[in-house]
Amino acid sequence: MSAVLTIASLTMREAVRRRLVAAFALISVVLVGLSGWGFYKLSHGTGFTSGETNLALPQAVVLFMFMFSFVVALSASAVASLAVSGEIDSGVLQTLVARPIRRSDVLLGKWLGLAGLLGAYTAIVSGLLVGVVYWTSGFVSPDPVAAAAFVFGEGVVLLTFVLLLSTRLPALAAGVIGVALFGMAWLAGVAGTLSTALHIHAMHTASEIGQYLLPTDGLWRGAIYYLEPSSFVAQQLAGAPEATGDPFLALSAPPWPFLAWAGIWLVGVLVLGVVSFERREL
Amino acid sequence: MSPARSAEHVAVPGLGTNDPGVCAQAPGSPAIHTIELSKRYRNTVALAGLSMTVARGEVFGFLGPNGAGKTTAVKLLLGLAQPTGGEAMVLGAPAGDLETRRQIGYLPELFRFQSWLTAREVLVLHCRLMRMPRAGWAAAADEALRLVGLAGRGDDRVGTFSKGMQQRLGLGVALLGEPALVVLDEPTSALDPVGRHQVRVIIRELRDRGTTVFLNTHLLEEAEHVCDRVTIISKGRSLATGTLAELKVRRPSARLRVTDLPGGWWQRLANFGRWTQEGDWLLVEEMAAGRVPELVAAIVALGGRVEAVIPEHQSLEESFLKLLGET
Repeated sequence: MSAVLTIASLTMREAVRRRLVAAFALISVVLVGLSGWGFYKLSHGTGFTSGETNLALPQAVVLFMFMFSFVVALSASAVASLAVSGEIDSGVLQTLVARPIRRSDVLLGKWLGLAGLLGAYTAIVSGLLVGVVYWTSGFVSPDPVAAAAFVFGEGVVLLTFVLLLSTRLPALAAGVIGVALFGMAWLAGVAGTLSTALHIHAMHTASEIGQYLLPTDGLWRGAIYYLEPSSFVAQQLAGAPEATGDPFLALSAPPWPFLAWAGIWLVGVLVLGVVSFERREL
Repeated sequence: MSPARSAEHVAVPGLGTNDPGVCAQAPGSPAIHTIELSKRYRNTVALAGLSMTVARGEVFGFLGPNGAGKTTAVKLLLGLAQPTGGEAMVLGAPAGDLETRRQIGYLPELFRFQSWLTAREVLVLHCRLMRMPRAGWAAAADEALRLVGLAGRGDDRVGTFSKGMQQRLGLGVALLGEPALVVLDEPTSALDPVGRHQVRVIIRELRDRGTTVFLNTHLLEEAEHVCDRVTIISKGRSLATGTLAELKVRRPSARLRVTDLPGGWWQRLANFGRWTQEGDWLLVEEMAAGRVPELVAAIVALGGRVEAVIPEHQSLEESFLKLLGET
């Protein structure tokens, strides 16, 4: 366990020393600052009625989190793709694994370090967003902690998947494949939402399968659910029943079987990554 | 591969320890023992049945041209890659054994360390990974830095180091914790002459401490300076193993410039070796060692005037090229 923690702390220290953390902090402050300005204008602007504002605020929060979830996913993909194959190519990893540590310790340590960074980043930006939105508009999502947890889960799923790819593929290929599949999973989710509204069963089934193959979009929909007040959802549906096809509307929380599957998927892919790395010729 | 089974293997006298039948698990087992160790990457044979034994405490040179399979063999010995045939024992345990790795220091051919750490932090990281007692980390790092000539640069980031300094740091990492076996893969490839000399001094100090050094190199001069024994490999096979003297199988010769020799002199000097004339010079080959003074005295006794004598020894390079079939 101590070797896992050593590698995890090394991974975190690398992010700090390479100014990755500083860069993300700067970008996040700018984004949250600009968003705060936007939320202030939305809630104090003269062109909106209070009803319009109440409808717009949850949607704006969801849009911000949607953008942020993409940043989290892209970041997870980028750092995970370099974590193994990048270090094998450079030769750094060979000096580590020649020491009396298991390869599983190295991979789990990297996973833990990166997941820790991702968790801290998600928590800080989500916290800042909640604070800024409340301060500028007085609006608070029903369960921002649960929403942030789902965004974090989405990022960790992609991180774990790209880490697995990184044990076998060059860094660039692992990163590109990870991002591409993440995008496809999101599109599958959108298609599934539309298919529900349009009653296209085959498309709905394909979307369901896609969500189980890479559960990022299913987790993202969990984040949406906890960001939108139920009154907002009811209003949307009352105004336009076809709103069930809105990809930024979640009518229900992700079912427990799906969440259980996401957990099993995560552990399974991590174990696959460990096995793959242990068998990798260095 | 035993000499009897390999037509390519040159039988060299005095090689009892190279018998693959030696039991590596026995107490006092060899530092390294391989039997028919093989590695194939798809259609490429990187190592084709390597059998060798490295005794504890010796400096063993692993020589071969580029692409001979040297680095592949090192990776197999350290468990970085898995063999496709044969077996390897290192310090009495199967190659790659987790606990045994605690006693092994390794300087890879491609030496790269975390550029964003300082040299001291790199060394402390390896102390942690080796599970050395925390109280000893600082002293071990300082000692390693001193040993490799980086005492004043411990707090500088590795990213600011030259290639040679990074290789020195790699050597320091390999020497941490007084390992029983140090595997050095081309340890002087990036070093200047001063650095090379320092590495040789370090290797000799390791031998004096009883540490086994496995020196993987294609620099024959390096091997000649420090190795007790060497094995020469080519195309994944061991061609010969022995001490340097054993590998320099040709007897020494001498080149002489002599005047006033009487007719028929070669008949009276024939017992010294095989004579040939090259311009103004006479060359006597296959002469027994230490007979040069005797030869000069015999020439003088015949009335000859010896103007110059140049004793010639076969270099390891000549043996090396000969074994590789390049001469």
